[in-house]
Amino acid sequence: MATPERPPQARPSFWRRHRTTLAFLAPAALFLGIWIVYPTIYTIVRSLFDRSGSEFVGLSNYEQIFTTDLLVTAIKNNALWLAVVPALVTAIGLVFGVLIERIRWSVAFRLAVFMPMAISLFAAGVIWRLMDEKDPERGAINAGIAAVADAFDPRGALSGAEPSSDDVAGSPDRGLSFDQPVEQGDVVPLGLTAVAADDIPEDAEEAREPEALADGITGVVWRDFTPELEGGGEPGVVERGEVGLPDVIVELRDQDGAAIETVETEANGTFAFEQVEAGTYEVAVGPTTFEEPFAGVEWLGPSLITPAIMIAYIWVWAGFAMVVIGAGLAALPRDVLEAARTDGATELQVFRRVTVPLLRPVLIVVFVTMLINVLKVFDIVLSVAPGPVQSDANVIALAMWRTAFGGVNDFGLGSAIAVFLFVLVVPLLAFNIRNFRREV
Amino acid sequence: MRSAKVLALLIAALALLAAGCGGDDDDGDNGDGAAQEEEISGNVSIMGVWTGEEAASFEAVLDGFAEQQPDVTVNYNPVGDEIPTVLATRVEGGNPPDVATAPQPGLVSDFHDQGVLQSLDFAAEEIESNFTEGAYDFATFDGEIFGFLFKAANKSTVWYNVALFEQAGVEPPETFEDFLEVAQTLRASGTQAYSIGADVGWPLTDIFENIYLRQAGPEMYDQLADGEIPWDDQSVKDALETMAEIVGDTDNLVGGTSGAVQTDFPTSVQNAFKEDPDAAMVLEGDFVGGEILASTPSQPVEDFDVFDFPSVEGSEPMVVGGGDTMIMFNDTPAAQALIRYLATPEAAEIWAERGGFSSANRNIDTGVFPDEISERTATALAEAEVFRFDLSDLQPAAFGATVGQGLWQEFIEFLRNPDDVDGAAERMQQEAERRGPGS
Amino acid sequence: MEAAGHAQPQAVPGPAPRRESAAGRIVRTLTKAPLNIILVLIALLWLVPTFGLFLTSLMPGDLVGGQGWWTVVSEPSLATLENYSELIQNETITSALSTTLIVAIGGTVIPILIAASAAYAFAWLDFPGRDWLFLLVIAMLVVPLQMALIPMFKIYNTVGLFDTVWALILYHSAFALPFAIFLLRNFFIGIPRDLLESARIDGASELRIFVRLILPLGLPAIASLAIFQFLWTWNDFLIGLVFGGETQVITVAIFSQFRQFGANLDLIAPAAFVSLAVPLIVFFAFQRYFVQGLLAGSVK
Repeated sequence: MATPERPPQARPSFWRRHRTTLAFLAPAALFLGIWIVYPTIYTIVRSLFDRSGSEFVGLSNYEQIFTTDLLVTAIKNNALWLAVVPALVTAIGLVFGVLIERIRWSVAFRLAVFMPMAISLFAAGVIWRLMDEKDPERGAINAGIAAVADAFDPRGALSGAEPSSDDVAGSPDRGLSFDQPVEQGDVVPLGLTAVAADDIPEDAEEAREPEALADGITGVVWRDFTPELEGGGEPGVVERGEVGLPDVIVELRDQDGAAIETVETEANGTFAFEQVEAGTYEVAVGPTTFEEPFAGVEWLGPSLITPAIMIAYIWVWAGFAMVVIGAGLAALPRDVLEAARTDGATELQVFRRVTVPLLRPVLIVVFVTMLINVLKVFDIVLSVAPGPVQSDANVIALAMWRTAFGGVNDFGLGSAIAVFLFVLVVPLLAFNIRNFRREV
Repeated sequence: MRSAKVLALLIAALALLAAGCGGDDDDGDNGDGAAQEEEISGNVSIMGVWTGEEAASFEAVLDGFAEQQPDVTVNYNPVGDEIPTVLATRVEGGNPPDVATAPQPGLVSDFHDQGVLQSLDFAAEEIESNFTEGAYDFATFDGEIFGFLFKAANKSTVWYNVALFEQAGVEPPETFEDFLEVAQTLRASGTQAYSIGADVGWPLTDIFENIYLRQAGPEMYDQLADGEIPWDDQSVKDALETMAEIVGDTDNLVGGTSGAVQTDFPTSVQNAFKEDPDAAMVLEGDFVGGEILASTPSQPVEDFDVFDFPSVEGSEPMVVGGGDTMIMFNDTPAAQALIRYLATPEAAEIWAERGGFSSANRNIDTGVFPDEISERTATALAEAEVFRFDLSDLQPAAFGATVGQGLWQEFIEFLRNPDDVDGAAERMQQEAERRGPGS
Repeated sequence: MEAAGHAQPQAVPGPAPRRESAAGRIVRTLTKAPLNIILVLIALLWLVPTFGLFLTSLMPGDLVGGQGWWTVVSEPSLATLENYSELIQNETITSALSTTLIVAIGGTVIPILIAASAAYAFAWLDFPGRDWLFLLVIAMLVVPLQMALIPMFKIYNTVGLFDTVWALILYHSAFALPFAIFLLRNFFIGIPRDLLESARIDGASELRIFVRLILPLGLPAIASLAIFQFLWTWNDFLIGLVFGGETQVITVAIFSQFRQFGANLDLIAPAAFVSLAVPLIVFFAFQRYFVQGLLAGSVK
């Protein structure tokens, strides 16, 4: 071991001078060396081998990244994530951080925004998949929209019903109408199928074909289906066991298609337009009766999936930004802010000219952390996006995960994607160098 | 200081690493079939997909082994769906469990190709006498058995909502024509017929396989599985045409096409069996039953029931099956004893009695099944004239069993556009060339 | 506080009166009302998904899939605590809770101590290549944790760390370091230089400066770092699954109860809340360190 003897040259004193520094850095260096540097080197080496690791394949794994469409969507999506999410999360964190300094219940607010951070990403994925579900009976977001949409455009009494035979023609904006022109004395059978058992009113009676009227038009609207007959019965014919549909509004239309008279059907489904002038008419049930309920926005469909995942991600990470920035705000020298205020600066000016510049190092931490996290994002994509749209929502880290572990088990190619991901950070680092130069 | 302690530990760890690792060689042992009752001691580690209830049932199976071999300690490690990841990591890291279950046969051939699997030929007699060929065929390489289907699933079943069938006045159909007619009648009665959980794609490949096996026959099925028939073959197109009669009937599909591709399997089951059901039938395997009981208030026979996948063009009873394959990574006497035990009907009966279990073991006593429905589906499987392993699962995982690519994805595309049979078949063939067998 | 009261965009510059009239207070409350309302709305918005998960956790397993969670609000009779009682009576889960606590505490304390000392060196000690080394640390932030699974598995396997709590603690510690060093260094650098200089002139050793000056001053940052690191470790699934074996952490234990092919919402939802409880207690415990002013007072 070294003795107190003076070193012959000045050079070796480097170690003496930096002994303290080394002591401060050594534990971190040890950990990083074993858990991060060694695996990184391992990964780089591994990326030059084939999937089983036995054969050296040179750069062919990298070639595969660029020659197949494996990463095209992933890179596009990652670029979108990088452009939108870090800035948004940082901005939200900053705004929340500054605003809650002025309210009395800031602890409660922090807790509310912070809570998602404490939920595992797996559970967060599950809850957002539930929130985003298309069916308004299940998905909360669509349920909210449906509540509004259906108030303006309510569901029809017989939504989903269809003509039972070719005698009835249907179109979405005209409703269902009898296929032929109708005259005095005609009897019009309007048979419907696909009427859910729940949609049949309780007072409905067995359907009956009405008598013809000499100077009127009669008819029946009925559920042209009965479980008692083979295949539900013969289409277009009123049969035993088939029920009439009461309270359906039937329109009598002139040749231009304008409604001139309306009646409601009886309990047995029959209706009658008495005293009709000679001529040809159209008999129809208007479209509002068949109005489908709001079907829901496809949040989890191919086009909205990435924004939907981003919302979930921001929901999770805003708490992080708020707490870190909040800690930075807490450390700000109060007197500088006060001085600015007493100098007559408006709050907005204080915010822009004093708070933000002073918070700069902290904002950079949050922003850079989010940049890097976003580059690595994968688990929330995996848990929110349903299988078929995962390729639309693909990101680089997910592609790597799937290649290396998710069934494909190609560690060679997976390692190559990981190295590629690593290389993408270089521009981020360059950006940082500029910042450090300015700071130090 | 805490970190000092950690440091000391780390340095010790590094020292150990530097000292190198002593290999542990096994003495070559030549166990013959008769050595079954021999007293053996040791430890066996086994890693499996089964968690929760299923893990408890498997532990009961292992208790049966402990009675036979009291000196062997078996440690079961339930890993669940992540088992491919965990197994791959441990194999790559050089410490695989002694025995494991593989949820997809693709994994078995992957591991075999890597040369890490041990032959099960020491138990060939037990396996061959107890199981139908389809249960170990796929895990036989160059005449040597490397795995067998311990827990099987009968994927040739259709589950239906009894009340909705009654409302429509229909009976479970036996032929495909009747099946389509029943679906039309259901629609006319005001409910949708099919609930398909197509978010990942495997329920779709299962429907296709059932149709293909029946329409093209078992020989063609094997050839398609082995890559001897291309995916743009006429037989594939014919089967797709037939399949389009189901998936192309989009009005009869819960949520329409766009809804189906967002529905996961559990939701598809709930759609048909929840309190206010949206559909009458779920076309999936025997595991649907367990999911109905777990996630809906429906009761067996009274509220839900099952029928066999209908016969296409007069085909005889056939079963497409899947399941979990036993494989062995370390050849020890204790592991051998466990494998032998698991191949016996007694082992299968323990689980069968507890429910939620089907087996391809022909010699299982069908009387042990706890209820009528599971007895029916399990017997159909054990007694099927033709039993074939799930075709997509037989493919390399990248082609046959990976989210977002290969067959799973192509069948989702087909669901989205069922009119384009030729295009779908061609895309499947392109995928097969890229990731399929021998690619 | 008083000054914050006038924190509105002011039309009239100049000193505000020292004492407020009653009318002034009303005016102030009124002008603050929009801010309060907006923040209440945001807070509620943020709570909706969590609240939904909570209501889902109260629904019996056979209903969870069939209807939206908000139906519980109109039909409270649907709610049941059965999911919770089943979860808590489960021995695997309770023993996993204590394992997870050990892992999460170890995986929080160790990296913070190590990172704080390294961050101090990066912030206030001069040595050649400092900036480049620091950039290297930032670069390490991007190394995906999954990529180290296989090489580390090999090492753990050789040294016999596999299936121990240390395997998990050390792995979490190492992967926490880049971010922790990055965050703390950027906080430490904001500490006024003259404070350190005067301590150095007084002849304090670097260790003493670190322990007596830097650590207390960095407390808000360390506290927020601690809580996040605790959460990430607490909620980890992958590392626990791969290196745990029989040593199960809570996420793995819950996962091991899942039904194959099942939605498992009746397990996931209550489990999310059981495992949420501990981090929330931690949050409340650390909460006072976030409160502004506390530190500002102690610096002077």
